[in-house]
Amino acid sequence: MNGKQHSTRFVGFNEDLCTGCASCLRVCPTKVIRIKHKKSIRIVNQCIGCGECIRACPAGAVRAATSDLQVLEKDHVAVALVSPVLYAQFPGIMPKDILLGLRQMGFQHTIDMSYFLEMFQFATEEFIKRNRETRHAPWPLISPVCPVVVRLIAFQFPSLMPHVLPVLRPVALMAREVKRRIIPFYMETGEEVALYYINPCPTKMDWSNLEPDNQPTTPEIALGINDIYPTLAGHVRRIRESDAIPFYQTRFEYETCATGNASMWAMSGGEIADMDIEKSLAVSGLEETISYLHKIEMGLFQDIEYIEFRTCREGCLGGVLNVIDKYLAKSSVQKMIKMFGLGRRLPREKILRLYEKGDFQTEKRPSRLLTLFGGPQEGISIESMQKIEKLLKVLLGRDCAACGAPDCRTFAEDVVRGNASINECLWVRAQGKKKGKTL
Amino acid sequence: MAGLVKSFNIKARDFNHAGEASISVQSLLKSMNYNPKLIRRIAICGYEGEMNAVMHGGDGFLRIEIDSDKLVLEVSDSGQGIEDIELAMQAGYSTANDDYREMGFGAGMGLPNMKKNADQIIVESEKGQGTQVRMIFFIKEGDMPA
Repeated sequence: MNGKQHSTRFVGFNEDLCTGCASCLRVCPTKVIRIKHKKSIRIVNQCIGCGECIRACPAGAVRAATSDLQVLEKDHVAVALVSPVLYAQFPGIMPKDILLGLRQMGFQHTIDMSYFLEMFQFATEEFIKRNRETRHAPWPLISPVCPVVVRLIAFQFPSLMPHVLPVLRPVALMAREVKRRIIPFYMETGEEVALYYINPCPTKMDWSNLEPDNQPTTPEIALGINDIYPTLAGHVRRIRESDAIPFYQTRFEYETCATGNASMWAMSGGEIADMDIEKSLAVSGLEETISYLHKIEMGLFQDIEYIEFRTCREGCLGGVLNVIDKYLAKSSVQKMIKMFGLGRRLPREKILRLYEKGDFQTEKRPSRLLTLFGGPQEGISIESMQKIEKLLKVLLGRDCAACGAPDCRTFAEDVVRGNASINECLWVRAQGKKKGKTL
Repeated sequence: MAGLVKSFNIKARDFNHAGEASISVQSLLKSMNYNPKLIRRIAICGYEGEMNAVMHGGDGFLRIEIDSDKLVLEVSDSGQGIEDIELAMQAGYSTANDDYREMGFGAGMGLPNMKKNADQIIVESEKGQGTQVRMIFFIKEGDMPA
């Protein structure tokens, strides 16, 4: 796929701010970015939405493709789907004050994730327990929670797709609940309901491809935590300064119900810490994640039942759209755990009944994921690969990225695919001049 | 047409970089769009072979030969060699020392795993002369690059 667009599904590049420094090229795990003519960005492959380019850009030229806060002024019932990572941005402040702040900002409903995290945990424990007998799925199972990990597997480790736990993600369970209960509630009055995902990372809510088809009629909007933070912080401050006891009225039980168990999910290891699984691991950071996926592909860790991967270091609180430092956020999570304690509130039997009904099952269709992103890149033939190897001998091999490709191998591939000219390499040009000719 | 040959060095007892040669082979095959299941089999064989070379071999190399009808993966080392190849092919047989076992290796599954995952395996070794393991994977319909 060769496009000239300056944005992917998850991030956008501002060429006016871009200095052409190539920092983003080097960190991109799927090597989707090229710089042409010093600072013209081109996207050539599948972006998985990890956000590393946003983190790496010193010029602030890369932004998440989230929506503008102004969409809130639209005439619809705004439902905020709140990730527990948001609470970690406000050390020492109770989640209920933060949710109240959101409602003052104009969200009619604020959905806390705690319930759905518990549901996911019950379903996961049950699946793993049964899998010990049936062995339908191979060990180690891989957590489906971080969407970047699932896309990374679909594009770069397709042989590991059967390892991805086939249980609906907490966010999907949460969105489904809103569609089942809140939307019908407003159907009578004829009001339109919009779902707002408040996210710590640019991965959005791009999940229709992995889950049963949902009604396309509901608008779904992604907001970064950094998009809402300044406004929200103002409301939260006023709530805290006010002498009045905050008055709550919520219609659904999951509108205010933060728990220590749920807060913990913002940290790496928080998903598995309270799960009843014999052997599990938590791995965080993009590099580590890739390295462990390689190891699983090579047949390691078959004695581990479940691995929680987060591509952001320290977990979701390390997400690139967060506002406060990840270690401060971590300490705030640890305080919350101390305050709320651990333990679940949903009755296990009820969840088990839903599990029997298949309420948590998902479908995995990597092929569909691939087509959604414009299909896999064409494979390199044996002949082309020989040409690439030959070219690599001519190139210097320093991966300087001056040509606008992330490394020499990728550049050689681009040349053989016909997407770049060998003369874009500075070293090749210098050699040519020395010999008084162009290569 | 002659096939494509790539070779990657393996350093004896370098556990920090063990597995990297195998990962390079995987990446190469992935960029050529081979069937994921075939790549997984080669990944497992490459890793087992590489670990054997790291633990028991002197320095060596992992080599992949790509042809239109087959892939040949070769692990070659200049190490201590295998005294009884038939015995080494048995599941659970291992000559790994206690240090390696403590590290989680030496379950005696290396060669058996390679045999299980390759279509054909040829082991050549002599005590003190190093070991060469050649694994052949025939390209069947559906394995070919799209």
